[in-house]
Amino acid sequence: MPAEARIQESNPFVEIATHLFLEDLAGKVGVAGLNNYLVSLAKNLATAMPREEYASWSEFLGALRDGQSILSTFEEVRPVTERCMTSMRSPFERGWREYAKRVGSFAPVHREVAEYYNHKVRPTAVTSVHIVLHTFREAAAARIRIGEEAVRYEPVASAWVDGTTQLPEGAKLESLLKRAGISRTKLGMLLRNHSDVWLLEPF
Amino acid sequence: MIDVALASLIEDMIEKAGAEGVVEFWQRVGDNLAGRMGKEAYLGWTSFNVAVRESRTAFSIEGEVTPLTDMAITDIDGDVVGYLYAMRQCCYVPTIFRTRFAVGRMSPADQAVTNEYNENVHNIAVCNFCVFHERFREEIAKNVTIAGNPLACLLLATRGWSGETKISSKNVVQVNINEDHVRALLRNYECVYALVLRGARIKGER
Repeated sequence: MPAEARIQESNPFVEIATHLFLEDLAGKVGVAGLNNYLVSLAKNLATAMPREEYASWSEFLGALRDGQSILSTFEEVRPVTERCMTSMRSPFERGWREYAKRVGSFAPVHREVAEYYNHKVRPTAVTSVHIVLHTFREAAAARIRIGEEAVRYEPVASAWVDGTTQLPEGAKLESLLKRAGISRTKLGMLLRNHSDVWLLEPF
Repeated sequence: MIDVALASLIEDMIEKAGAEGVVEFWQRVGDNLAGRMGKEAYLGWTSFNVAVRESRTAFSIEGEVTPLTDMAITDIDGDVVGYLYAMRQCCYVPTIFRTRFAVGRMSPADQAVTNEYNENVHNIAVCNFCVFHERFREEIAKNVTIAGNPLACLLLATRGWSGETKISSKNVVQVNINEDHVRALLRNYECVYALVLRGARIKGER
């Protein structure tokens, strides 16, 4: 089911205003403070959404594909393997395009906070919105039960609208690819056509 | 998604700075965004209204704006010094519906900021976004000139997603428009404002 049929599009002006809101906030609390706000808002958003339960992993994948899960509320998700998921387009793309068109280039603080997050948390953010996205998916996955098992989220790689990609290196990446059930070449193919590649697994 | 998450951010900020602090914050964001939009100049109202229709002005960032060219505002000499403009849909309404379908209900933080603004600044807001939006338009107007004269923006009326309406008596009086006319516009539009030449002596101004 296309994303448009599930939930109507926002007015990009609201997204632009929110980005400006975050920029202003960064001026007050600095990059570390902004990172904390982004993490907190994403966690609060996920916590405000209803919990989910599924009888089996295949039922869960079906809900993801059909846009029925908390994890596919804001983006169209396509499972590549049992564990590897891709997002077709970044839910932030429209806002970013409108910002670039109407306001200009993104303020540097959006990249700076992503670098802070990459250094402190995990190396998968290109810009500030990825902090929201990764934190939201992680907190949302924690609200899902499949049978008796919980679900764990881990990002594999992110590709931003401008083509910049961010992914872990070396053994960390190899481990993620193995758990996701895809090769390095397949990852490259996915990043060409999708915005994010991520892992969901029971634990 | 960031639009739906905004309410969570506002909740956080209310805890730290209160609803009053969030109102100040939103207004500053309105100033900053307007400051980054740059200046615009038009030869006359006709070229400006065409630019609005074709979404070429800074005001177009909000979405589709309709110039109500049958509702001109005139000065004491009978010259046109402004027009009414309207949006069929409030910028924030899609976010409210998205929140309804994603989260379940709108955060009470939205209402807290709205109430704070209505009680202490201008009784015109139907959602927290109006706080930012009104200031943004006021600042943008200063950067737009028509025949060399900067504009002033006056927010006249708003209609919220659940149907509640607000009309700014003080602004309606300033542009000498009958409140009933404005109320009638709210049947088709959710946000109505006036753009007038700054300092114009409006005919019949009460």
